[in-house]
Amino acid sequence: MELAYQLAWLIPLYPLLAATIVGLGLVFFKEGMARQRVFAAGLSIGLIGVALLHSLVIAAGAFVAHLKPFTWTAVWAQAGTFTLSMGYVVDNLAALMLVIVTSVAFLVMIYSHGYMDHDPSYVRFFAYLSLFSSSMLGLVISPNLVQVYIFWELVGMCSYLLIGFWFYKKGAADACQKAFVVNRVGDFGLLLGILGLFAITQSFEFNTIAEVLRERLTAGEIFGGALTVTILSILVFLGPMSKSAQFPLHVWLPDAMEGPTPISALIHAATMVAAGVFLTARMFPVFVGSPETMGFIAWIGGITAVVGATIALTQMDIKKGLAYSTMSQLGYMILAMGLGAYGAGLFHLMTHAFFKAMLFLGSGSVIHSMEGAVPAKYAQDMRAMGGLRKFMPITSATFFIGCLAISGIPPLSGFWSKDEILAAAYLAGVEGNTSAILLYLMAAATAFMTAFYMFRMYFMTFEGEFRGNKPEVLAGMDQADAQGMPIFAYPQGASFGPGAMHTAELDHGQDGHDDHGHGGHDFHEPHESTWAMTLPLVVLAVPSVLIGFVGLPWANLFEESIHPPEEFVAHGEHVFELNEFLLVAGVSTALSVIGIALAYYLYRLNPGLPAQLAAKVQPLYQFSLRKWYMDDLYEVLFVQGSRTVAKAALTNDQKVVDGVVNASGFATIFAGEGLKYLESGRAQFYTLIVFSSVVVLVWLLGLL
Amino acid sequence: MFPWLSVIVLLPLVASVVIPFLSEKDGGKQIKWFTLVVSLVDFLLMVAAFYLYYDPTNPGMQLVERYVWIPQIGLEWSVGVDGLAMPLLLLTGFITTLAVLASWPVTLRPKFFFFLMLAMLTGMAGVFLVQDMILFFLFWELELIPVYLLLAIWGGYGRLYAATKFILYTALSSLFILAVALALYFQAGTFNMVELSNQVYPFELQILCFIGLFIAYAVKLPVFPFHTWLPDAHGEATAPVHMLLAGILLKMGGYALIRMNVGFFPDATQYFAPVLIGLGIINIIYAALTSFAQGNLKRKIAYSSISHMGFVLIGIGSLTEIGMSGAMLQMVSHGLIGASLFFLVGATYDRTHTLILKRMGGIAQKMPRIFAMFTACSFASLALPGMSGFVAELMIFVGMATSDAYSTEFKTVVVLLAAIGVILTPIYLLSMLREIFYTKINHEFIHEEDLIDAEPREVFVIAALLVPIFGIGLYPKLTTDLYDATTTALVQTNRARLEPNAQQTTPWRLVYSPNYPNKPEQVSQKP
Repeated sequence: MELAYQLAWLIPLYPLLAATIVGLGLVFFKEGMARQRVFAAGLSIGLIGVALLHSLVIAAGAFVAHLKPFTWTAVWAQAGTFTLSMGYVVDNLAALMLVIVTSVAFLVMIYSHGYMDHDPSYVRFFAYLSLFSSSMLGLVISPNLVQVYIFWELVGMCSYLLIGFWFYKKGAADACQKAFVVNRVGDFGLLLGILGLFAITQSFEFNTIAEVLRERLTAGEIFGGALTVTILSILVFLGPMSKSAQFPLHVWLPDAMEGPTPISALIHAATMVAAGVFLTARMFPVFVGSPETMGFIAWIGGITAVVGATIALTQMDIKKGLAYSTMSQLGYMILAMGLGAYGAGLFHLMTHAFFKAMLFLGSGSVIHSMEGAVPAKYAQDMRAMGGLRKFMPITSATFFIGCLAISGIPPLSGFWSKDEILAAAYLAGVEGNTSAILLYLMAAATAFMTAFYMFRMYFMTFEGEFRGNKPEVLAGMDQADAQGMPIFAYPQGASFGPGAMHTAELDHGQDGHDDHGHGGHDFHEPHESTWAMTLPLVVLAVPSVLIGFVGLPWANLFEESIHPPEEFVAHGEHVFELNEFLLVAGVSTALSVIGIALAYYLYRLNPGLPAQLAAKVQPLYQFSLRKWYMDDLYEVLFVQGSRTVAKAALTNDQKVVDGVVNASGFATIFAGEGLKYLESGRAQFYTLIVFSSVVVLVWLLGLL
Repeated sequence: MFPWLSVIVLLPLVASVVIPFLSEKDGGKQIKWFTLVVSLVDFLLMVAAFYLYYDPTNPGMQLVERYVWIPQIGLEWSVGVDGLAMPLLLLTGFITTLAVLASWPVTLRPKFFFFLMLAMLTGMAGVFLVQDMILFFLFWELELIPVYLLLAIWGGYGRLYAATKFILYTALSSLFILAVALALYFQAGTFNMVELSNQVYPFELQILCFIGLFIAYAVKLPVFPFHTWLPDAHGEATAPVHMLLAGILLKMGGYALIRMNVGFFPDATQYFAPVLIGLGIINIIYAALTSFAQGNLKRKIAYSSISHMGFVLIGIGSLTEIGMSGAMLQMVSHGLIGASLFFLVGATYDRTHTLILKRMGGIAQKMPRIFAMFTACSFASLALPGMSGFVAELMIFVGMATSDAYSTEFKTVVVLLAAIGVILTPIYLLSMLREIFYTKINHEFIHEEDLIDAEPREVFVIAALLVPIFGIGLYPKLTTDLYDATTTALVQTNRARLEPNAQQTTPWRLVYSPNYPNKPEQVSQKP
């Protein structure tokens, strides 16, 4: 096992090898390589499988044999006395992340074999997937901040490439650029933070920075004192904020759903977006030194959890709904970090990675099936779904498990991890931290909303009757979208909801055309996906149910292995108390059950009611639907703002700068229109100018 | 010993006399192959001289050759190479060879075109190698003429305007080089650069000469507000000329700035360093904004070059070893990246027949190879880690952030503003990619049958450029070791030569750290 530790540098290289071979093959033998599907998929899956095995051995070494962390570095860049080292570190946190990343990547690759089957760019997809896996694995074994920054950017690039995978779609083209640029805003902060910390501590190593920072702060040697430390910590934290889609830098994540669904599962749910939480964990020793920073982190996490959940309430696109749910859950993790509950945050990262990957892959299975059943533009819309459980039993069963897990129903994995975060907030509140009480209330409200929107999603998608073959439903959707009220009372089998009649009748009249149009295509019933897609779902269901048991509050194996370096623990060991556990867990479970019951009432028993409710609280509904108007605000402030500034700069350049320099240079000789006459190109004339100028200059300098 | 450097400089020019006797059949195939072989041989000579005789641990001049040429005016043919010149010399040979390969589609007057390419190679190699001020001035001017003609004959619609503007800007500004050379000659009695750099000059003379040389090199680099010739020249040049302009000519400005301004005038350097930094920031932000607003592909990339050169100024101005090292690396890196981007712009233009971004769109479907290469080079340009640009910018950032010459407030503001470039660069580069390649083909302006994917020659050129881009990005020490001894010695010597508290006379004295310059022993104690 020591050998597995020492050879950990190989782990990112396995998928890199696959990416290189397939990628170069594509560049040099385009068509030839594009046909080698079995080879490309086999190589990618095989090598990530090897990486998975290697990671499992390392995990066994870390969690069973309790091996000591292993670090190796070599000088990478040098100038004068400055040296910059690169290398790798294997400790418990890295081991945990390695297993999460390789296992999810492995399953997502198998899934992609089924999902991307009809896509002409199948081979390219696997090259990108391998490249991403490689960057992500490199990130988790980075021993210092610069190397983290390097892989941080590389996973961002992979995300860019994969969101824009279908580059001919306008939505994808816009989304991939948005994702990269928003992430660069965070990276801007991260870079500044790294530089500032280096200027103070002369180090890029996580623990060294924290130690030196603490020493120099106590010694009063830092310019600006604690305020500087807080500012630098928050700058560093801007990186995790953008990567982990934290408010207000979250706007890229929902748009990123334009990419293929396996990507949404791997990158935008399980691994890359969790990198922010991972970096927060790595920087934990630094952040702990600044209470203001910890408070900031906790509040950002809490706000993100609430914002994400409120938006998810009204989304009709199944992937967008899951995206906001991801954002909300990431908020939980960050909240935990900010409260000092290091282990709880990472525990939720792990459980969430499994059940959210499963949910996304499940949604992909649904979309894949819907694409054959309805016109493409309705394939992701839950209003056109319904009753899919009958057609897709495996998908619906695993999705149901995922919904239970994320809602925090005991004893599924999500219950244990979420409960720990809620307990951390509750305890901090009891201990006298007033803002923690508020955060606890926000987190509890989020737990309620989570259960509601997840089961809303489940009921709309899998229960009731299939609506995608009903022209009046599709027409009603178009009409509702046009009115800016996508929610409408669609007919539920025989029981038309109150108020639904009107819409349905109205649509019937207009729908002659549409009906005909649909009939012209060869749409068939939804169907269960192939084994390549259902197998990963079933495999992921196992940890989604069981993994929580490693973190039982009274026997927490997880936190025994995963904790911040000893000297940086925020507060002492907390002793398990049954009453307190029952109180917190009881409240959160009750909230979840109420949420599920409400979803059942609104979307199974009274399907007409949601539309009426939405109409009653129109402004609130629109506020959620329009994502708190953040995108509109950013469009005006940043997109148009930057365009205006850039235009002004260009105009200035062409008119003012060019004009002034030209004029000042040539005005005396050529009276403004110099260039026109000079195009004659008479060499003697140039010589004359050159010569006379030299004479004048030499004479001037001679006077000195 | 074999006169390696003299042969390297003169070979292309001497060999070019053969060109008139070659045949112009098959679009000048014979001429193209001949030129390619000559430039390749010249490049291999550079590599051989470097590999066999160049010692990277020696900070001084190596492979020196000095012959008295015109003793009456003290003119010498003297060439030599050190850490500043060697990487740029290799870059020159490399980019020129690839540029010749990139000129394969040229059919208009091939004899003259390829003669000029060889003449340029001599001019550029000479600029980096000669050690005599007058000779330097001659080579500096010599290389202008081929560029002027290459622009004026083979350029786009506005070529005459662009070429004239180019020659006026650079020729007029380069007069300052001659003037300063003469002034220094009166002071020190020599034109030899090594001897000049060992002299101590009166402060006022340093200031004046610094300003004079800076104007000459600011036009070349280019530095705001002397940059406006560049979008015009780049907007009209053909791809190979483009590669040389962006890949090498801009670096001549940076090279000379370090060699002369920094090397000769330590006090003036320190005096003006904050100004250099300020101009560098303006370059980065201002040019990134103009690039974003630019609707013409070539001009967009031209402005992006200006933006990237701003980092060179900040690296020099940081007055640290790491910053200077980063400035050198940024020049090498941008030489490779700029050349690759301009080559791809040319290749794209050959297919779309338009440079207006609004008229493009969706061509990735037909040209996945060009798309892949363009994406890779754009990412290199936006300083993606793993590629050379990132390392260079990172070193400059670190150099600036840790500089002991400035007050904390000043450093904070500078790093903050320069880092805004980190956000702006992807905005314009990714917008550009989106407009060219993404969404659906714009059938109104683009003919699908013209969209032929990259041919092997084009893939080779880009692959050849990407190999060092990735190489430097993955293991920068390979390149930094080439010149580290020289740049470190330069910065440390300058620091030792500084007059204490000379910076207190500047109008902007507040930006300096109060106890700068530290004594060298204090510096070595730094952890």
